[in-house]
Amino acid sequence: MSDPLLSVRDLKTQFFTEDGTVRAVDGISFDVHEGEIVGLVGESGAGKSVATASILRLVDSPGEIVGGEIVFDGETLFGLEEGPNDELRPREEMLSESEMREQIRGRRIAIIFQDPMESLNPVFTVGGQLREFIEINRDLDADAARAEAIDMLREVGIPAPTERYDEYPHQFSGGMRQRVLIAMALACEPDLIVADEPTTALDVTVEGEILELVTDLQSKYDTAFIWVTHDMSVVAEICDRVNVMYLGEIVEQAAVDDLFYDTSHPYTSALLDSMPRPDETVEALDPIRGVMPEAIDPPSGCRFHPRCPEARAVCREVHPEPRDLQDVESTHTAACVKHDVFDVGYDESAPIDAEATGGFSAGFTETGGDAE
Amino acid sequence: MSDVGPPASNPDALVQVRNLTKHFDTEDGLLDGVEFTNEFPYVSRSTETVRAVDGVSFDIVEGETLGLVGESGCGKSTLARTVLRLLEPTDGSVYFQGDDLASLSGEPLRRKRKDMQMIFQDPQSSLDPRMKVGPIVEEPMRAHGMLDEEGREARAKELLEKVGLDPQHYNRYPHAFSGGQRQRVNLARALSVNPDFIVCDEPVSALDVSIQAQVLNTMEALQREFDLTYLFIAHDLSVIRHISDRVAVMYLGNVVEVADKEELFEHPKHPYTKALLDAIPVPDPRSGGRTATLTGDVPSPIDPPSGCRFRTRCPKVIQPAAYDLREDAWQNVLRFKRAVERRAFEETAPDVLRRRYFADAVPSGAAGTVLEEAFDRLERGAWDDAERLLTERFTDESVCATATPAYEVEPTLGDGRHYAACHLRRDEATASAVDDVTVEEPARSDPTALDADD
Repeated sequence: MSDPLLSVRDLKTQFFTEDGTVRAVDGISFDVHEGEIVGLVGESGAGKSVATASILRLVDSPGEIVGGEIVFDGETLFGLEEGPNDELRPREEMLSESEMREQIRGRRIAIIFQDPMESLNPVFTVGGQLREFIEINRDLDADAARAEAIDMLREVGIPAPTERYDEYPHQFSGGMRQRVLIAMALACEPDLIVADEPTTALDVTVEGEILELVTDLQSKYDTAFIWVTHDMSVVAEICDRVNVMYLGEIVEQAAVDDLFYDTSHPYTSALLDSMPRPDETVEALDPIRGVMPEAIDPPSGCRFHPRCPEARAVCREVHPEPRDLQDVESTHTAACVKHDVFDVGYDESAPIDAEATGGFSAGFTETGGDAE
Repeated sequence: MSDVGPPASNPDALVQVRNLTKHFDTEDGLLDGVEFTNEFPYVSRSTETVRAVDGVSFDIVEGETLGLVGESGCGKSTLARTVLRLLEPTDGSVYFQGDDLASLSGEPLRRKRKDMQMIFQDPQSSLDPRMKVGPIVEEPMRAHGMLDEEGREARAKELLEKVGLDPQHYNRYPHAFSGGQRQRVNLARALSVNPDFIVCDEPVSALDVSIQAQVLNTMEALQREFDLTYLFIAHDLSVIRHISDRVAVMYLGNVVEVADKEELFEHPKHPYTKALLDAIPVPDPRSGGRTATLTGDVPSPIDPPSGCRFRTRCPKVIQPAAYDLREDAWQNVLRFKRAVERRAFEETAPDVLRRRYFADAVPSGAAGTVLEEAFDRLERGAWDDAERLLTERFTDESVCATATPAYEVEPTLGDGRHYAACHLRRDEATASAVDDVTVEEPARSDPTALDADD
């Protein structure tokens, strides 16, 4: 395989709060190759959004990227080195804030957020906002940018684009607004688009249309995507490769087919089992016990062990780093010691009864079910 | 039709909704709807009516879960609130345990509320952040004068345990709980007055999947234990399939299909239901993905389409009796008409259009003449004229636009009843109550009126 377009290595982002340090993203590594759609999936609070914000260096105080390396097409978006007094300082080749703003964000890496109403300014027309974006980023004059904007609106399936150019965001439906954001993201023909739960707030019918549109546009422009979602069905539908996140870590990484048919991490299996199916009647759902703990004080050993049906005593002690399970050409990594490659004595270890009895008596300070 | 009451239909049903209608006036304030004009008296007032729920009928029998599904904006939540009479119905009746809620008021209605409860979508905003969980659960009991102080506390603790929370949490505030736990508090509160009927308005859609499954399981267990009847609203068909016994599909203020769960999911009879089912993503990369057959948005309920309300988006609109086109040619006409509506193309030369939209099947005869005229108008840039012509000559004359469908068909699975409001079913229908569209007559879908002739 060629060099990846985006390479994230051991990324760590932490939030320094009064209650302690929240390790929202704790050492994740993944690659995105040209023209592929990579999924980032997990429950609320797993750290998906923080991970994507870190890639664009959009993490605000009290949050800070504290370690790791992000390389995008040869440019170092983030990287630290040790200074003369043993302190960490940004590496020389790391892009400055203004370089990030002028060269990377919007132009080469675009982002689409979950709530289109918050990304569009309600007091300017939709067309005007799109035109302005194109004008600034592509050095076109106002008229050419306007024509380009109308073209983009038509391309993403806005009916009667010439008339709707002068309308305001509130006159568009949710699906239409999301299309406008996709138009905006594509306007500069970026190499990578980060889509942070872009269809979560939409109806299934509209979601279907948007995903179809994205697939079409993706093959036309050959754009790579990082698709953040909590919905396994969306993953199954559009992703090429998937990273499953749990509590700030990537626990499984595989091609989409392997993930569903050769599931290797108990958390991924549990996620799949807990979903009601649309295509068959499932009598009893098999939910995951308990709720996700807080990233401020993660469990020892494997972070999933208090909820894991396959947990054994060794899981409490050993913290598994993701390892490749296959030595064939495709990589499939999982961070679970039950696999032989770990060889830490899982088979001999005694099973533990998950101590989170239902989770509802244990999780006093949990906010696991909140919207992000 | 309007006098179909409890004795005439299913007398066992716990809840019987008959022709329920809820309209909202857009005029709310003194100056709302005031417009300035050029002529004397220079001001005019126009009011518009949002037909949020328009003539809906269904039954819910004791102990069952009726799922109610539809896209956002189709009136699900308004229907739920009107059924509980949290909103004053514009027309129609809701019979609950034999009494018409629509005609009750004051103290009798308040007492009735003890038996019907509601759970809302947002577990955060439906709990008072300044009240502790215990008093929250006790409040309905206090309002209805149930038990004494100690008895209520004991019952609240018992209920907290029943819904899967620790009774020790009695003294905690809602903010200390996660979303799933808060929804459990809502459940406990709803159960506190020992209701028979609970309306659940998207109770799990704000929760993560793993939490969703936990809450759904708890709801099922509680239903068995307390013999509850649910009206369960969701936009997620997977959830509906899991929890419901029967399913009603709603579109733009009407119920378009009602059937047993298995029947509806395996043998949908309404194109809208089918489109919804096709649009659900399946968590399986080998499933081949979904097919998005619907385009466009739900039309405004202020001025809904005549006849079948789904016809503006329906892929299966029936061609008017005046034409005799082959199916593929008619499909091309439909596709072309929608493209014109959406102004989806720029080049308007007739040759280009013919090649783009009618490559495989060109309509001939009368339809062909109309098309030629439309091409001509488009070439002159008269988009509105072309659109009007196509609308008048093709879709307005279709039976879908001229008559409101209401058919009952033989179910393929099980022995439940299957109602489908689609004219495609007119030949296989065992009963029908089709209304020809007359001016200003609200379209109605009335599955239970069919009972009258049983």
